[in-house]
Amino acid sequence: MTFPGPDINWVAFTPPLVLLLTAALAVLFALYQESGRLTAQLSLLGLVVAALFNLHLFQVVRQTDAFTSFGLRYLADTPAIAFNFVILIGTVLAVLMSYHYLERADLDHPEYYPLILLSACGAMVMVAAGDLITLLLGLEIMSLAVYVLSAWRQGSRESEEAGMKYFLLGAFASAFLVYGIALLYGASGHFVYAEIAAVLRGDGFDQLLLATLGGMLVLAGLAFKAALAPFHQWAPDAYTGAPTPVTAFMSVVVKAAAIAALLRIFSSVFPDLSPLVGQVFAVLVALTLVLGNLAALFQRGVKRMLAYSAVAHAGYLGLAVLAAGTVGTRAAIWYLTAYTLMNVGAFAVLSLIADRNDRGDDLERFAGLGRMKPGLAAALTVFLLSLAGIPPLAGFTGKILVFQAALQAGYVALAIIGIVMSVVAVVYYFRVVAVMYFREPEYELPAISSWATSMAIVVTVAGTVLLGIFPGWWYGLLQAGRQLLAGM
Amino acid sequence: MVATEYYVALSSILFAIGAVGVLTRRSAIMVFLSVELMLNAANLALVAFARQWSGAGSITALSGQTAVFIILALAAAEVAVGLGILVSIFRYRASTDVDALAEIRL
Repeated sequence: MTFPGPDINWVAFTPPLVLLLTAALAVLFALYQESGRLTAQLSLLGLVVAALFNLHLFQVVRQTDAFTSFGLRYLADTPAIAFNFVILIGTVLAVLMSYHYLERADLDHPEYYPLILLSACGAMVMVAAGDLITLLLGLEIMSLAVYVLSAWRQGSRESEEAGMKYFLLGAFASAFLVYGIALLYGASGHFVYAEIAAVLRGDGFDQLLLATLGGMLVLAGLAFKAALAPFHQWAPDAYTGAPTPVTAFMSVVVKAAAIAALLRIFSSVFPDLSPLVGQVFAVLVALTLVLGNLAALFQRGVKRMLAYSAVAHAGYLGLAVLAAGTVGTRAAIWYLTAYTLMNVGAFAVLSLIADRNDRGDDLERFAGLGRMKPGLAAALTVFLLSLAGIPPLAGFTGKILVFQAALQAGYVALAIIGIVMSVVAVVYYFRVVAVMYFREPEYELPAISSWATSMAIVVTVAGTVLLGIFPGWWYGLLQAGRQLLAGM
Repeated sequence: MVATEYYVALSSILFAIGAVGVLTRRSAIMVFLSVELMLNAANLALVAFARQWSGAGSITALSGQTAVFIILALAAAEVAVGLGILVSIFRYRASTDVDALAEIRL
């Protein structure tokens, strides 16, 4: 019996590898450190190096061809590289937000930053996964680190309960994913998307029921990670209970990875299953759009409102997933880029306003912010308007792109639900803006200054505005190079 | 030779028992054990399918078996993290009842 040697193309996975090595080094340093400053700086360095490798990868892929490694199990194509950039931006911003926040909240342990890097590394593996086992590995690497991070505030009931709930439900969801993978293997004999799709398309394939059942279970597992209704129950609790920088990280990076995985599966395996899978997903998307937006309408706390708004945005991303293929993929990546900037920005502002234990994010607290802290209020206004989809900010272009993708794929009713719901969303975003500018101050706000968080806010404001004014630049880059998606 | 269907039927029963356990048990440890049962149900299905595919070439059959090892490792990692969080909650709460996790509004 002979086995072919492993086909390892190191260049393809340099960015996650750099993050992994940096995290390992940072854990070693953490042994001899009390404060997280050094590991934070090391992590930022690692992230920048990973971004440079990613840029190099992008340039090579643009000129020649997409990289694959381990057969078709790891795909470094244009979507994967673009998702890597989104993940890296989200992670850098989360690290910047955490830099002073952790000290202020008395949560400053050096192991925090390696965990963030490991989670980002898992997300990158998930984004590039060309087979179900790689997907599962990436998902677990990402999730296990995030479970710990969301329970980071030791001794706080909310944070530890958030971590526990997230962990138990996450483990439950990954059991569904694993069982779905087993059934897809049983039906096709393969784990690699391209090979499964080839078997499904082949003559004499008679296991459609088994494969469709497997596909449904995989869909449920991934929908959980993307926080699509009715699998979104964990999200508001975990987002509210976790320390604010972790919330920002979760709502952006975890979501990006789950959406990327869904895009790949929807453009390879799922089209050949029963059309029921697509219909079920369309129902999930519609539910998410309605439930997320309506629930956000009734929240008192701004952090919890943003948590539900993150659920609602998963619905808009789901619209793009339904149109998976080139147009939908580009729309999803573009939307995620905009969403990363504006959402992390909003959480960054929140982290400068709430108390050190994250309490006090009530709407009343924002009263008169426009007079007391004009800079912060202006930044938050930009983020909220962009989240609501007001032109000319980035969120507007993102929404146009996903609605367009959904219409092109023939989901007219869903696109209409999306548009109606984004009108509803304007209400709860504007409520915060109105309170900031048209109400008298009621609270004495804590005087917090943090150059790192301010830097994150400046970068996200600039990104949100510039991306909105010049949408074509990033979209053009997304069109470059070859889109493998499933290795076909 | 026992047909693959019987193994898969057994594994789906185990999976269902695990799922019911997650939804009904109150202790976090028992919820956790139920999740492990679900994962092992998937492992059983994978092994059974791997045997079924043994006619289709060694690589096809072995990929199913290697997947089982990977899932075993993942389950172990999950246990480590999960019990860690559990212990840190238990330290000040002295209870692992999931119904007590009601501080956060649903």
